[in-house]
Amino acid sequence: MGKLRTLLAVLVALLISSVSFADEEYKFDISEIEKKPYHIGGYVEFRPAIFWLDNDAALYKLRFFNQDEGSTTEAYNGNLQLEGSYEKGIARLFFLVNGNLTYNYQGWSDSLDLYEGTLSLKPSSSLAIDVGKATQKWGKGYAWNPVAFVDRPKDPEEPDLAREGFWMASADYIKSFDGPLKTLSITPVILPVYDQINDEFGKINELNFAGRLYLLLYDTDIDLVFLSGGSKTPRFGFDFSRNISTNFEVHGEFAYINNFKQKTIDEQGRVSESKFDAKSYLLGMRYLTKADTTFILEYYHNGMGYTQDEIGSFFSLVDKSYETYLSSRNRGSLTKAQSLAVNYGGVNPMKDYLYLRVTQKDPFNILYFTPALTSIINLDDGSFSLAPELTYTGIKNLEVRLKAMANVGHNGSEYGEKPSDYRLELRVRYYF
Amino acid sequence: MKMLRIWMFVFTLATLILTGPAQAIDGTQLLKAIDRNLNPESYEMYRKLINVEPDGRRKEYTLFSVKKGVDRVAALFLAPASEKRRSTLRLGDNMWLYIPNVGKPVRITSLQSVVGGVFNNADILSLDYAAEYDVEKIEEAGDEYLLHLKAKTKTVAYDRIKLWADKNRKLPAKIECLTEAGMLIKTLYFKEIKDFGGGIVRPSIIETDSPLYRGYKSIFIFANIKQRDFKDEVFTLTFMPKLESLRK
Repeated sequence: MGKLRTLLAVLVALLISSVSFADEEYKFDISEIEKKPYHIGGYVEFRPAIFWLDNDAALYKLRFFNQDEGSTTEAYNGNLQLEGSYEKGIARLFFLVNGNLTYNYQGWSDSLDLYEGTLSLKPSSSLAIDVGKATQKWGKGYAWNPVAFVDRPKDPEEPDLAREGFWMASADYIKSFDGPLKTLSITPVILPVYDQINDEFGKINELNFAGRLYLLLYDTDIDLVFLSGGSKTPRFGFDFSRNISTNFEVHGEFAYINNFKQKTIDEQGRVSESKFDAKSYLLGMRYLTKADTTFILEYYHNGMGYTQDEIGSFFSLVDKSYETYLSSRNRGSLTKAQSLAVNYGGVNPMKDYLYLRVTQKDPFNILYFTPALTSIINLDDGSFSLAPELTYTGIKNLEVRLKAMANVGHNGSEYGEKPSDYRLELRVRYYF
Repeated sequence: MKMLRIWMFVFTLATLILTGPAQAIDGTQLLKAIDRNLNPESYEMYRKLINVEPDGRRKEYTLFSVKKGVDRVAALFLAPASEKRRSTLRLGDNMWLYIPNVGKPVRITSLQSVVGGVFNNADILSLDYAAEYDVEKIEEAGDEYLLHLKAKTKTVAYDRIKLWADKNRKLPAKIECLTEAGMLIKTLYFKEIKDFGGGIVRPSIIETDSPLYRGYKSIFIFANIKQRDFKDEVFTLTFMPKLESLRK
């Protein structure tokens, strides 16, 4: 706990030094805009959270089967995100590192990961070549991106967080036009998957090719994307985004995944694999009212998701395995279920979802204060999460967010079987 | 009687000659002249945006902006650290925001504000007035023209604008932004005319307040405005993460 106290003390000291008041004239010092060849920045974050556990939930039993955590558990997270760059001529080196220090029911843990590290060459404003660890982040959806073929999946509860990239080589060729087609850009990507290189992406010893064609056509963003190779089955798709008016935007994505392989487990613990062509799609909108309330609404169909029966079988297996463990201390069946928990207990494992986020800018004339309410609804089983939050960014380089979350649903439903019923989390982030 | 008629003829003629030029003012040409006096058609500039709260507390942002032609403009945040490397792009009615963590440009709307405070996205990524507004009427008030502007399309952030411009310098002194029903949204005050070099002489500060944000004000301070030409490809989504490379 000493390490976390030190982190907290640093945050408080930085906070106190950040408050500025207007007791001076408006001035613009030219030294502020002087360009330097290098840049170092990032943020440090302290994020304590308390969880109210659901001892009857399947995913609680899977995680805590051999320990008694009582009705609540706490977690203390310290995060450091550091980025830097160096520019010389047409070349630019860039890195993004994420360090994490956590204390929770399992004790201390830490990690240090290179999220991005690239060498970019920009011989002209029309052409750029990037080599290294990078993210592409294809797709227009806010909470989900079914067409993000060469990225790690997004967490819809925290869609704005930086994610670790993959090692790849890519290029951007841009061309502008007059007329209905204003912009065209082509992004070819080569993504190798070998032992120790991108081995989390898919099957190893394969060289994968992906690409994106972007068009700004009739004031609409359109992307056509594909992935081929051998690490994952071939897939292609498209997305679009368009402003309908000064306060209304619509977007969508469609992905076709050829020969998708899905592993399922039945109530007896028998694992089977099926193969099918999956179609995933998303339709969304962003609407701003005159009172500065923003609504983001998205419908997502996950063609690779499980049906209600399939996920019900998994939860039944966990319940039975837990009973077996209690009576005989035999954890064989539980271990089998744990091996598939990444799929079944992961982020939105079922087929149809609705995402709604409502944010109110500066209510009661409090500048930089943004309350928000976010809900993810599983349309297949009616369960949902509900997350109210309050964010304040009024102090220079400091962001304070208080967020609560409730998982609501009956037994056997996705959110009803989450390990906790409620969560309360404070996030204090200082940028430097 | 004859002398009276001659005198009336001369008086009428003189009146017509004296008032004639005002009535003959070409509103569009005047608005275009005001635009050109504010900025070259293609330029780079630095701006500091200061949001001031009623208790005097302030938050500052520093931006590097580039513009080309009538409808291409982009801005890169240089400070504070929490906003650094964010960029915004406008192509006509289309606007995007790039946040490095999110990693991809997302569409934004003109009435939103990426910085909070009185300035919205349309103010930060403003185009030429003549590109978005028609001149409905011109009035003369002492040393100033009062131009009544009407948005060309429904996609423009403010439906109506009243623009007070100095007659000699042809530079705005005050602008009122109004809804279609005539409700005041905000007022912009142009202050402290400064010679930026290269023939650019214009207000170096724009201050704004709004009846919707009582007690708050936002200020733009301008620096290093320079005529500069850019390739069209600079004003594209793909280039947004690379805007920093344009700074010299």
